Amino acid sequence: MAMTATHTHAPAAFPSALIVIAAEVLGAALLWGLLEANSTPVVLALLGVMGAGFALMQIRPQIEDIIVGAFRAARGVALWVGILIVLTYPILLGANTYAMHLVIVALLYSVLALALNFQLGSANIPNFATGATYGIGAYTSALLAIHFGLSMWATLPAAALVATAFGFLLGIPSMRTRDSYLALVTIAFGIVIHQMLNNLSWTGGPNGLVGIPAPSLFGHSFMQPIQFAGIRLPPQANFYYLALALLGLAILSAKRLHESRIGLAWNAIRADELAARSQGINVAWYKILAFAVDAFLAAFAGTIYAFYVSYISPDNFTFLVSVTIMTMVIVGGMDNTFGVIVGAFLLTLLPEKLRIFSDYRLLFVSVVVILFLILRPKGLFPQRQRHYGAHK
Amino acid sequence: MDSLLVQHLLNWMVLGSIYTLVAIGFSLLFGLLNVIHFSHGDVSMVAPFVALASLQAFLGLVGSSAPAALLLALAVAILATGLVGIGADRLVIRRFRNSPAMMALVATVALGTAVRELVRAIYPQGSNPKAFPAIVQGNVAGLPAQPVLIIVTSVAVVALMYVLMQRTAIGTRIRAVAEDRDTARLMGIFPERIFAFTFFLASAVGALGALFFASHAGVVRFDFGVQLGLIGFSAAVIGGLGSMNGAILGALAIAGIESIVQANMAEGASYRLVFVFLLVILMLCVRPSGLLGKPVMEKV
Repeated sequence: MAMTATHTHAPAAFPSALIVIAAEVLGAALLWGLLEANSTPVVLALLGVMGAGFALMQIRPQIEDIIVGAFRAARGVALWVGILIVLTYPILLGANTYAMHLVIVALLYSVLALALNFQLGSANIPNFATGATYGIGAYTSALLAIHFGLSMWATLPAAALVATAFGFLLGIPSMRTRDSYLALVTIAFGIVIHQMLNNLSWTGGPNGLVGIPAPSLFGHSFMQPIQFAGIRLPPQANFYYLALALLGLAILSAKRLHESRIGLAWNAIRADELAARSQGINVAWYKILAFAVDAFLAAFAGTIYAFYVSYISPDNFTFLVSVTIMTMVIVGGMDNTFGVIVGAFLLTLLPEKLRIFSDYRLLFVSVVVILFLILRPKGLFPQRQRHYGAHK
Repeated sequence: MDSLLVQHLLNWMVLGSIYTLVAIGFSLLFGLLNVIHFSHGDVSMVAPFVALASLQAFLGLVGSSAPAALLLALAVAILATGLVGIGADRLVIRRFRNSPAMMALVATVALGTAVRELVRAIYPQGSNPKAFPAIVQGNVAGLPAQPVLIIVTSVAVVALMYVLMQRTAIGTRIRAVAEDRDTARLMGIFPERIFAFTFFLASAVGALGALFFASHAGVVRFDFGVQLGLIGFSAAVIGGLGSMNGAILGALAIAGIESIVQANMAEGASYRLVFVFLLVILMLCVRPSGLLGKPVMEKV
């Protein structure tokens, strides 16, 4: 190739801003196509296009470097165009409530995947209990709303508090156990929570909790459609923006944590736990902290999910949900915020869009996951090298 | 002894035997490859379906319900499941030999889903539970024959595994590859052959466990492997991964708490998993490397 791009600068022939805008519009268009597609050949063709894109990047890593470099060079443009696209996205989807529902669920799963990423991606702690902390958050706020009439805004901090307490609790065994042993502790914790939800009478048992009231904000009920400047959006748009705000919060905390000493300490633990300890890093504390941060964000996601669907049951929070979240992180790319979000969207949309295969769709999804792991072993968007304080 | 106590003891030993057969596979493969074969439970659960299918085929051929047909079907199922284990390694797990442990773990989780869904898709009306026959009926020396058969067979199989690992050439080779893959290769051992054999062995023994499980419960469903696999994995871990003695101990501990809860609690059946996994957490808090696991000494 003629273009010998360095890691940080795109060649002058292509202004970074143009590359950034093109990439973001293309991404949004691909997602829109996937959401709106109703026929199997179209879905498969779109997946083929995506696969070809990643295959191209795998063969020619320079292309990837150019795009990453462009995003780094034109960060302001990337941010504002991105915000513009996500804010206007509901207009693009219009009255397609099913597509809107999928996007909301994908947004919540993105938050969960980011929450797990603090442990799995940053500190290499295998946690199979994200589904459980998600459930604790959902049940706490649902119970408070049903029995005490608390509004969603009041239950949010309460659920986060309860789930974080559980996160600390779960973190304690992690002080001594490692690797597969730690993985089993989290699996066991997740199963215990799921079984309790399934058996206790005050959690509704296997029937779950129904009739969670819809939230409202400044007198605007979330059951009402949004009307703004002549545009009318379905009621789900309320939850779209709410989930979006939460994802924004999650991305921001991920970024802040990554650039802080905490993120550095997590990465040090990932690289070599013993060496990290020798450097004076309080390994036990940072591990527990990773569990607490995960639980905190997962509880937020759980609360919004509970109020959005207004019905929760233990089946929403099984071991397999935790496994799905973990798959999102690994397929997307560990410790790469954007990659994790792409992984979450892909693994939420794929099973839904492959409903045409009905009985075979789970089979299909698991085969796709295995293929992804084999063909692009570091995830769709591998973590970039840390550039701690490099761009100042 | 009163008969209720005997019944509980039998129940404990039966569950312990079944869990041991599954846990040994986890331990064997972890000791050899340092990989958690998370699809082990699902692979093992292929066996009851192969057994049911071949039983029908044999009955169609012979026309009578001879006990020999059932035994033959069980043998076919064990062999076929062993081959499925080799296939799982060849198709998927082998490609993650040098990847981080997490990648292999997620890949085997996905593989487990694939195996489970394949069973459901291939077997006629695979989503529904299937009745599974008892292997033997009647009583032996005043005890029900089926539990006695399960316990005796399991003890024999485990004893054979010890002999195989400690006294035979193939066992020595397995241990050599587990110790040091590269040195073993220099000694003229083909590690990939050893891996294939170990996958066959682990899956075949797991298959026996799954067959006993189905026969003991009288019913089998395509997704029973998830729970059986999780319990087998837990048994191997709390016993200490890589240790066969540990796997047996862990399995007996888990089966023990399950039997105690079922015998003493009114709602024991619904809460048994809660207690099983609370025990798992507790044991790992006290013994972070399992009961018989070697504490890892790290060199910097």
